Formats: sequence, C-alpha cells, structure tokens
Amino acid sequence: MRQKITLIAIACIFVLLFSGVVNLVCIQGKRLRYLSEKNCVRLLPQMGSRGRILDRNGLVIAGNRLSYDVMVLPQEQQETEELLEKVSGVLGEGVGGLRKAFREQFVSSSIPVAVASNIDVKKAIALEELKDELSGVMIQPHPLRDYPYGRLACHVLGYLNEIDHWRLTKLADYGYKTKDLVGFGGIEEKYDYYLRQEEGGVSFEVDHRGRFVRVLGFRPPRDGKDIQLTLDVRVQEIAEEMLGGRIGSVILMDPYDGQIIAMVNSPGFDPEVFVKKGGSAPLRRILNDPDAPLLNRAISGVYPPASVFKVIVAAAGLENKKIGYSTTFPCGGGMQIGNRRFSCWDVHEPQNVFWALVHSCDVFFYRTGLLLGPEAIHDFALKFGLSKSTSIELPYEAAGNVPHPLKRKITQFRKWYDGDTANFSIGQGELLVTPLQIARVMAVFANGGKLVNPYVVSSIAGKQVSRARQKASPVPVQEEYLNHIRQALKAVVSSPAGTGTAVAGVEIPVAGKTGTAQVSRGQSHAWFAGFFPYTKPRFVICVFLENGGSGHFAAALARQIIEKMIAEGLV
Amino acid sequence: MLLTRSGALLLITALCIACLGILSIYSSTLQKEGDFWELTYKRQIFWVLLGIIFFMLFSNFNYRRFWDATYFLYAATLILLLLVVALGAVRLGAQRWLKVAWFNIQPSEAAKLAIVVFLARYYSTKPAEALSLSVARMGIVRSILIPLAFVIIPVGMIVDQPDLGSGLIIFFIFLIMLYLSGVRLSYITGFLLMCLAMLPLVWHSLRGYQKDRLLVFLNPNIDPLGAGYTIIQSKIAIGSGGIFGKGWLSGTQSQLRFLPESHTDFIFATFAEEWGLLGAGVLLFLYYLLIKQGLNIAARTSDGFGRLLALGISCMFGIQIFTNVAMNLGLAPVVGVPLYLMSYGGSSVTITFISLGILANIDKKRSVF
Repeated sequence: MRQKITLIAIACIFVLLFSGVVNLVCIQGKRLRYLSEKNCVRLLPQMGSRGRILDRNGLVIAGNRLSYDVMVLPQEQQETEELLEKVSGVLGEGVGGLRKAFREQFVSSSIPVAVASNIDVKKAIALEELKDELSGVMIQPHPLRDYPYGRLACHVLGYLNEIDHWRLTKLADYGYKTKDLVGFGGIEEKYDYYLRQEEGGVSFEVDHRGRFVRVLGFRPPRDGKDIQLTLDVRVQEIAEEMLGGRIGSVILMDPYDGQIIAMVNSPGFDPEVFVKKGGSAPLRRILNDPDAPLLNRAISGVYPPASVFKVIVAAAGLENKKIGYSTTFPCGGGMQIGNRRFSCWDVHEPQNVFWALVHSCDVFFYRTGLLLGPEAIHDFALKFGLSKSTSIELPYEAAGNVPHPLKRKITQFRKWYDGDTANFSIGQGELLVTPLQIARVMAVFANGGKLVNPYVVSSIAGKQVSRARQKASPVPVQEEYLNHIRQALKAVVSSPAGTGTAVAGVEIPVAGKTGTAQVSRGQSHAWFAGFFPYTKPRFVICVFLENGGSGHFAAALARQIIEKMIAEGLV
Repeated sequence: MLLTRSGALLLITALCIACLGILSIYSSTLQKEGDFWELTYKRQIFWVLLGIIFFMLFSNFNYRRFWDATYFLYAATLILLLLVVALGAVRLGAQRWLKVAWFNIQPSEAAKLAIVVFLARYYSTKPAEALSLSVARMGIVRSILIPLAFVIIPVGMIVDQPDLGSGLIIFFIFLIMLYLSGVRLSYITGFLLMCLAMLPLVWHSLRGYQKDRLLVFLNPNIDPLGAGYTIIQSKIAIGSGGIFGKGWLSGTQSQLRFLPESHTDFIFATFAEEWGLLGAGVLLFLYYLLIKQGLNIAARTSDGFGRLLALGISCMFGIQIFTNVAMNLGLAPVVGVPLYLMSYGGSSVTITFISLGILANIDKKRSVF
C-alpha cells in the first residue's frame, strides 16, 4: 500500500518537474529568450566604505575618500571600441591603455568593466555630461582608503592590498573573494573582519543599445565598522619627527593600563602607494628595501636588550637574597671567568647594586648573575613577560628568546658555561627581546610592580573593547626592592656619573636605563627605556636604535621627544 | 551470468544519462581556459568507467553482507565525516571534501548510502520466532527516537561542514524510510509536528549564508549578485532553450559564463538550454525509469532487508534528483546538491553506480528467502 503511494508520489514529482520546465520554456519563454539573446541583465557592484581608524581623540588616521571609476558596459566589439576612443578623448589618455584595462578587467558580459580608475573629479563630471552620447559608459564613485597624516603610524595601521592566495584559502569561508582588498599587517589585517565593508549592488535590465530599462534587484552596500586606537596623533607625530630617518623604533605607553600612546618605526612606508594603482616602481622599492620598511620593529624585531636587562637581574638578586643593598663587588675593569676575561665597559670603584645600576657596571652583574645561576635569571625574565608575546592586537608579534641551560641542551646539544651566564646577566648572548617587551618591563618599575598587557585598540564601532582585556598581573618582587631599583633608575639620569645624563636637565624628573647591545656585525644597538614624570609616571618610553651606537644616542633622542612633548603641553 | 535483465536495464539507463552528462560537461567547460577545465570531461569519463567497474562488483556482491557490516559502515562514515572536519580542504566556502592523494572525496555522498543501509537493517530486524516484521508493534521510542539518534549525528556533522543540502536530504530519506518501513502513521505525524515546532531553533543555528540562501529562494531579487543571480541566470538558460534547444555547444548562457557552477550543480540548466524542452523531458523520463526500476525490484523482493534497501536507494535518488532539478528551475532553494550521473564529481558518480549495483544484486538474490 505505502509502496504504491510512494510510486505515485514519485511519478507526480517528475510530472511537477517537467511542468516546471514547460512553464519556463512555454509560458515565460518569450521574456527569458529575450533576456538571453540581448544579454540584457547587467550587474553594477556598489562598494560600501571601509571602517575608519581613529586616534584616541577621534582624529582620522585612515579614512576614505571618493574616487571615480569609468565603467564601460560590454557591448559588441565595434561599439566598445568606439566608446573607448571617445572616453580616451575626454580623459586625455591613450586608447591603448584603456583597451588593455578592458581586456584585463573583463569578467563577464553582464558586469561593467572598469577601464580607468581614480580619475580626476573634473573629468568625471565631463564624462557624466556626455552621457547621452556615451551610452554604456558610467561613472562610478567608489570609496578608497585615504591617509590624512600620510605615513604616520603606518606600521600600526598596516596597508591594503589585493588578497593573496594564502589569505584567500584561509578567509574564503568568511565570504572573501579573489580581487578583494584586504588588510596586510597591523590593525588593517587583525581587524579586517570588522573594518571590511559589504558589497552591495544593483542588477538591472538594459535594452539592445545598453540603455537602462529597469532595476531587477538591489542590495544596499554596508559600511565597515570604525576602530578607535589608543594612539595619540600628536605624540606619534613628535616621535616620528624626532626619530627621523634613523633605523629603530620608539614606543610610548601608559604605565598603568598598557595603552600604547605612540608606536613609531623607521624606516616606514607610505600606505598610499598600495592604494594607487599603476606605477609599481615605488611598491617594488618598498618590498626590496634591505632595511625592511614593512617590518614593525617595535613588536616583530628581536634584539639583545643589553644593559637594560640589568634591572631584571638586580630585582632577581635582591628578591632571591643573593645580594643586599650593601653588597659590594669590586670592578677593576673586568674579571676572569673560566679561561676568558670578561671586561667591563669602564673601570669602576667597588660599588653596591644602586651605583652598579647607575654606572651600568658589568662586573657587578657578572658576579650577581653567577650567584643567581642562569635558571633563576631565566625564571625572573619570564616573570617580567619576556620570551612570550605581549598579546597586543597586532599581527606578527615576535616572542623573543630567553636562554636556559636545559633548553640549550635539548635543542642545540651544547653545554652551558659560566661565561654564558655572565653574558646572560648583562643581556647579551642568546637573549632576544622586542622593544615592546622592554617597555613593558619598564612599566613594572613605573607603576609599582604590575605587569601590564599593552593594547592599541580602545573601541570598535563605539563599543569599548579594552575593558574585556586581561588585568595587569603583579610581578612577584617585593615593592621595597622595586622602589630601590626605581630610585637607581632616577639616579641613572640625574647623577653626573650616570649613563643616562643625556636626559638630565629636562624640566620634569625622568628615570630610565640605557643599553648598548654589541652585535656581531656593524655598530651596537642603542637602547633607552624609562618613564616620566618620576613621581607620578604618565608615560613609559622605550627608544631603540638599530646599529645606533651607544645607549647615549638613544637617551639623547628620548630627551628630544620628552622636551618637545613638554613644549606642546602633552605631559 | 554476470547481469540479470533488470541489472542490464539499470546499467544501460544509467550510462545513457551519464553520456548526456559528459556531453554537457564538455560543453560547459569548453570556453573556460586552463588545463583544469580542459581535463574536466576526461576525468568525468574516467569516473564513469570506474563506476561501471563498481557496478559490476557490487551487482555480484551478496547484499546480505551489508546486513553484517551495517555498524561498521556507519562507524566508518562517522570517521570520514570527522576527518573532513579535522583536515578537509576548504573549497567554495565549504569544507566538504577530504583530500586523498590526488583527488578529493566527499564523504557526505557515502553517508547517504550508509544511512539507507543502516535504516534498512534497523527496520527489518525481527525476532527469530516472529513471522512478520515487528515494526508495526514497536513503540515510538524504538520506531522513531532510537534511529533518529543514529541519523542525527551524521546529519549534524554534515550540516556543520556546512552542507545544508546533503543534511536535509538525509533527513528526508529518514522520513520516507519511516513511512515505507511501516511505522505507525500516528507516530510519524507526531514526529513531523515536533519537527515543525523545532524549526525556529534550527533557523537560529544556521550559518548566515545558509539563511541568506533560504531567503533568496523566497525572493531572488534580494541578492542579485550571489545565489539570486544564479537562480535568475539558470531560469534564463532553461527558458531560452525553447522546445528543441539551442543545440549542443551553442548554449549562450552557460557558454558565456553567465551561469556559475554550470558543470556541477547547475548542469541541468546547461543541458536544458542546449537540448530544449524535448531533451529535458527525455532526461527526466530516463531518471523516472531508473527510479521505477528500483521500486519494481523492491516490490519483487521478499526479503525485508532487501526490500527496504531497494526502496531506500530509489527514494534517495528521487529526493536528490528532485531537489537538484527544482533548484535549477527556481522551485527550491540553492542548497548545493549534485544531480546524480550528470553533475561532474567522482564521489557522486561512484556512489551512484555502487547504489545501482546493490539494486541489481537485490534483484538477483530474491530467491534466497
């Protein structure tokens, strides 16, 4: 019984399907045939505008401007040819280029082809006025990325480019298509999903001459969401101006909650280059530059921290009771460890931890390090957030490296020597950190013992996102010891024999530590990491100059930045 | 003898359809450049040849062995589906393929067959002393809820891939098997009402684009660029074909790339444009013959398992063909299911021939009981 019903049902289904075909062919056939023969359906995509990127005061760092594209509706070969000639007359461009663009951009005969993009407003108006003559030519306004401040904060922003194969395979599930513009690096990449606009469009019927007849369907485009950063454009501008052409990076951060106020890297690049089509020479120059202008050194570059690391060794020594305030070691310009002599950068009097930090005495820290042992230093370095990424919302952050005897044995099958401990204690050797990690270490001393989590995005589409972030965690070092080191950091700058005298004499008290990292090739890297004002710190500053010579130069640059900030009333 | 009369009939019908399919694939990929497209129809020929071998194998493989292997087949299907989740290749916005060596397999096709086998066994189990099947005397738990639990796991995994179409088709196969196995009508009605009540919940769990597709079905004009565009173009292709068609290799809609997926999900439109109402009628008739043949085999079989298996396979064909053609005609949402034997795709072609082989074998073995 039920089988029979099924058989009948299946027969009915096939009758239904066949009558569906009959309906399309016989009843709607005439209209459908007409649409097919004339290729009368056209699609005109309309783009929404990409979300803007704002600074902490709402100033637009990356916005949108309207650009005008010339679109040509595909028609018979000869008509298209005539159209292109007329368009080239108005634009004052060779018809060859237009023809080439037409061939390259052609997708299907139902979709208008952009033959010229980003044309002058005046020419757009001129073409629009000739509309009756040039049926089949459309001027389409479409939003383009615009950078009011030029290359300001380019590494934080990232840039826009056509999606590559690797990203496409990853993102196809989220509705990304070939030829889509997506973010590369920085906020543009990390938050592409929010910034991204939604494509809309109209499909319409045209007559045999390509003239508009009626709209068949419409989907409104949707704009992307705005993202507000914690950056302050004014501070960022000062830092970029002062860093100038030197290779390196500068970070200014709020010591209490980890807001990045400025993040500057040099060399930088002009993100506009990626927006403008045509002229690949500047693009190639960026991609082939040996100085890697696309690299965000502040988070992706790893370098030995050198003497800046001594603050961690000092904290470890005090906390582990290996040294006290009054423990003194003689310097003598160097010491013998194993069969090698490890020298100090200068010859100092016998001194305690306070003055050793002020003078940056290497021998004092060789001895402290040997007392502590490499494992203890390693553990404290991790407590200060080294060897792992800070989880800032920027892509491609490096983790750096903190050496450990066991790790070396397992990965490199090499023994750990006391000489390695000595090198480790002064921040040389295999120890590698990013400038952002150093800024974070300095914040611990500025805020009284909290390891903050740096962040750069404060809100997305008006919704605060910073609240949801992880709270700063306390670093397990007694406050008394931190305070002692903090005072020493002030003396680094204010004491006449300190290494940071370059910053002395600024109106407000500054504390900090210099570092000069020896590298196997070229000049040393220069570091200065500190905070100001000393009593109630509002900024942590980290200056890093790649192959910039001695730490003195970094300190001098920090001074220039701080002075300019004071002059502009930003402190 | 290798083939019975009904087996030969099944094979011949299937090969006729497959040939039409290859012609259409050749036509729809002709204008597309690149090695990949040039080789597409050749690969389809390879799949059909492989299918014939599978047909021969399975028509001589005692289908009662599936009875023993049911749970093994079921478990293997689940593992394959899990593997898709774990390491499937991402394509066309969906993760339905599993990359094995140089080709991709689509386990959701195999899952349909495995579910049919599973349900056929479940509903044909009877105690040794009973003379008739016990389904009619089962309570609602044993007749619906337990098998539902077995069906819902793979369906959930397939919908999550996300392949809404295949998931729904398996679910419909389940409903029809319920009906055909003799479960009480009052239970089935109750179950359907429950499903209706669950619909809002299901709606919420769908992905954004799946919702869009269902909405676009109601009004193609809300998405003129995506799925709606495909429906409009597919209708134009079929409607402009006329009674005798535009002729092989001269379909303008599919040739000029107006119609997306013209060699897979929308091959019916490609075919109908070039061969017209007449061709479409013949094709539908061939499909009807194939399904009718399956139902006849079921009617002739006295073994409960064989009967249900034959019915299940025939209905699986019916549902899938209906869904695909209706989608081409704009009568059903665009859910992405292939048209058996016509659409390009190794998994679907081989599974079709295996299913047909099983049908042929059921007819051969009907004297066992």
